[in-house]
Amino acid sequence: MAHSFPAPLVSLPLIPIFWLAVALVAVSQVMILRSTMRAIRAAASDRARRGIEWAYAIVPAVALVVVLAATWHATRDYAVRADLKARANQTSTP
Amino acid sequence: MSAPAAAVGREPSVARDLIALTKPRIISLLLLTTLAPMFVAGSPSWATILWTGIGGYLMAGGANAVNMYLDRDIDHMMARTKLRPIPSGRLSARAVLAFGIAIATAATWLLGHFVNVLTSALALGGFYFYVFVYTRWLKRTTPQNIVLGGAAGAFPPLVGWAAVTGQVDLASLYLFLIIFYWTPPHFWALALLKQHDYGRAGVPMAPNIWGERETIDQMLWYSVLLLALSVLPVTFGVFGLVYQASAIALGGVLLVGVWRVRTRAARGESWTAVAWSVYKFSLLYLALLFVAMAIDRHWRIG
Repeated sequence: MAHSFPAPLVSLPLIPIFWLAVALVAVSQVMILRSTMRAIRAAASDRARRGIEWAYAIVPAVALVVVLAATWHATRDYAVRADLKARANQTSTP
Repeated sequence: MSAPAAAVGREPSVARDLIALTKPRIISLLLLTTLAPMFVAGSPSWATILWTGIGGYLMAGGANAVNMYLDRDIDHMMARTKLRPIPSGRLSARAVLAFGIAIATAATWLLGHFVNVLTSALALGGFYFYVFVYTRWLKRTTPQNIVLGGAAGAFPPLVGWAAVTGQVDLASLYLFLIIFYWTPPHFWALALLKQHDYGRAGVPMAPNIWGERETIDQMLWYSVLLLALSVLPVTFGVFGLVYQASAIALGGVLLVGVWRVRTRAARGESWTAVAWSVYKFSLLYLALLFVAMAIDRHWRIG
């Protein structure tokens, strides 16, 4: 990531927060897709229209997976840096 | 005197109508979501803030004016839009189109000259997305119009971020995604209330095509997704506790509001007042969340 951010003033459980948020995002996205599929089946008259509507629903979901993968890398890097900084502070404390 | 002018006790004027074309009340929120990220991205100079604000206003105003030109055939059918300058006959359609293109062109030059080329390109990208992808393509063809079209309103944070850093990165992408996933619960709350208007104009909004139950269900899941997504920038150090607490509290209130709409609808009770409060709160949600971002960044550095 090109932009650097300051270390948090209070240490947060970053990895558990990440996975909890990802789990909520995944469940929500699945429920949205299920609901959209139901709605498309009920409303779209022809097969071509259903395909288009389905594509509209899938595109944001796929993009979200890519963003979450990039977020995992950024989170892991940041957690490692935060951990190293915390250890360095402990070592330098008399 | 035209109806809107009479309502506020003012004489109609071309200047007032030109300002109305830009939709200043909507732009105020867009400007907030442009300027707040600038303080998250770094320490912008007053000149950068000023030119980004002016350029952002003109670009969004130009997009709104061109949108009114393109929707001139349906605006007279909806109570919400029938008093706009074109359907009420106060301005010609050609004049509105020329005005929209002129101020968007001015914004492109201002942002490119006084800020940077990426900022100008992103703002222009938002203009094209709103005019061509949302208004021309999606709006009248799919009930998912505002899901994908939400990307148009999500460009401002990218513009603000690029104005300060000269780049777009993962952090700025999250600000984009927050607005993208905020749009469905926000706009569908309004669409639920105005579904007869949209039906009359032939705009296939989700409540008209999918029905109220499916739309409210999706509003609920989009609110959960938004809440979770808004917390994720904390995990890679963009924000700290102030923002995290704000995101959870604001997202929680939005979620409870949508849940109340769903519960009332399921029981067969009247949900219109709750839906209206969800719509109004969603505006406050976005404003407060972006203010919290700037405060959090300042607090952590200070």
